[in-house]
Amino acid sequence: MARAEPPAASFERRVLRSAAEYHYLRVRLELPDGVTRPTVAQFKQLVVSALRELHGEVGAALPVDVLTYEEKTVSAILRVISSGLVRLWSALTLLGFYQNRRCAFRVLQTSPFLLALAGNSRDLVLD
Amino acid sequence: MSVPSLKRIRQVPRHLLVCEKGHARHPRSRHAAHVWDHAYNCRVSFLIPECGLLPEVLKSTIADFGEYYLVRNLSVHELVSHEFIDAFVKKGSCYALTYNTKIDQDNTAALLPNGKLILSVDKDTYEELGLQGRPSQYSGKKAMRYAITIDLTDSSFHPDSKKHNRVLWALKDKKPLEFDILLAWYHTGAEESTVMSYFSKHQIQALKPKITFSTIRDLQCPVLDSNELEGKPEESCSTEELFEWLGAVWNQVSLDNKSSSFLSTYCCPQPNTVVEKAFLCTITGFIIPEKITQLLEQLCCYFGEPKLAYWLTLTVHGFADSPVSWRESEHGFHKGGENLYNFVIFRNLDYWLQMAVGSYDDCPP
Repeated sequence: MARAEPPAASFERRVLRSAAEYHYLRVRLELPDGVTRPTVAQFKQLVVSALRELHGEVGAALPVDVLTYEEKTVSAILRVISSGLVRLWSALTLLGFYQNRRCAFRVLQTSPFLLALAGNSRDLVLD
Repeated sequence: MSVPSLKRIRQVPRHLLVCEKGHARHPRSRHAAHVWDHAYNCRVSFLIPECGLLPEVLKSTIADFGEYYLVRNLSVHELVSHEFIDAFVKKGSCYALTYNTKIDQDNTAALLPNGKLILSVDKDTYEELGLQGRPSQYSGKKAMRYAITIDLTDSSFHPDSKKHNRVLWALKDKKPLEFDILLAWYHTGAEESTVMSYFSKHQIQALKPKITFSTIRDLQCPVLDSNELEGKPEESCSTEELFEWLGAVWNQVSLDNKSSSFLSTYCCPQPNTVVEKAFLCTITGFIIPEKITQLLEQLCCYFGEPKLAYWLTLTVHGFADSPVSWRESEHGFHKGGENLYNFVIFRNLDYWLQMAVGSYDDCPP
């Protein structure tokens, strides 16, 4: 006996204002030549120490996820709880040293939607 | 620390996510209208679970995406000339957008298919141009950015009118504006596209959208119920969870982390199932809504035959530096210029639509 098809969905619209639980940042760590590129664990440790330096122990306890990491380019996608975005971004901006060598974090793209980081029209290169 | 500073440290940039659900074959369904209203798209991607090989009809739809053009150093007054208007604007849908201009820093121009030319310019350019416009909605108390809209198909814009002469004088003599412009022209007619020959005196390139295919094996997919946008605990996932999961898949994020992991605690929303394989396709370039509508229709027809998949998704990213998002709503770049939408098409042709915009955007229609 054929199973009855569920009824067609009725129209519904919901608008969620500033409701994203997390914010995402695509970052790249610029390092001088000759410095060994950090592994993913070292990268995460660097982020935590940047938070500790600027925001103390409470800042260091801010849950940050390294969703992806590419060792070749030292770039990563970070996820942070929305209320912690300012703390994380300010900590990354003010981090100046890695293994006693000058370094800089560049925030390439940020969004409350992870899907938005999948495409960046500013990176569109046409021959 | 005073209370206002504490509040600022926890501040979140404003953003909107509009979630709609409906049925694609309903006579009053507006799902296609949202695609039509979003003029400038730089990336179209779709994901089909339980699919190893793309059906021929979808392959040919993608191959038929047509060409778009990049014209270098084109003066904006050429888009206002009546030869151009009669040859392209009035005879089909003409889309144009400046390439490599930043909406928050540089001057930008865009031509919508309804014949409206939009110039988003800084204060100095606006004052030098001397054309009627209005301050940008997102410019703050001191207007540093202005938007000028010129309706090229307006009856009062005929070749000898005062309006036309003034616009031409402003753009040709007073303050010439030159950009690299992405152009696309859609027409329903048998004749060949004449864009290349019209701009033969300029540096013009015809480009085809870049297409990439890939397959993922053993992918964890959330379980969805088309009637439950908010999800049901233990039964189905919500639309926000799906939106985040889709972002994770497209960014190649690992979906399987333990909550005690040092690096990442992200995992696929529950409940989920593991599909043996999933087909992913990405198309990048200057893509017009006409082609996206055709692709959407073919994806709806995918379920015309029995398939293992319960749903598939179609994601479209807009240009971060376009002066408009949906219809003629002003779009800006605050901390991000996101204006994207995503369809989830279910087996029974129910659909979910998520439209996401950032701080400097109106609510999508």
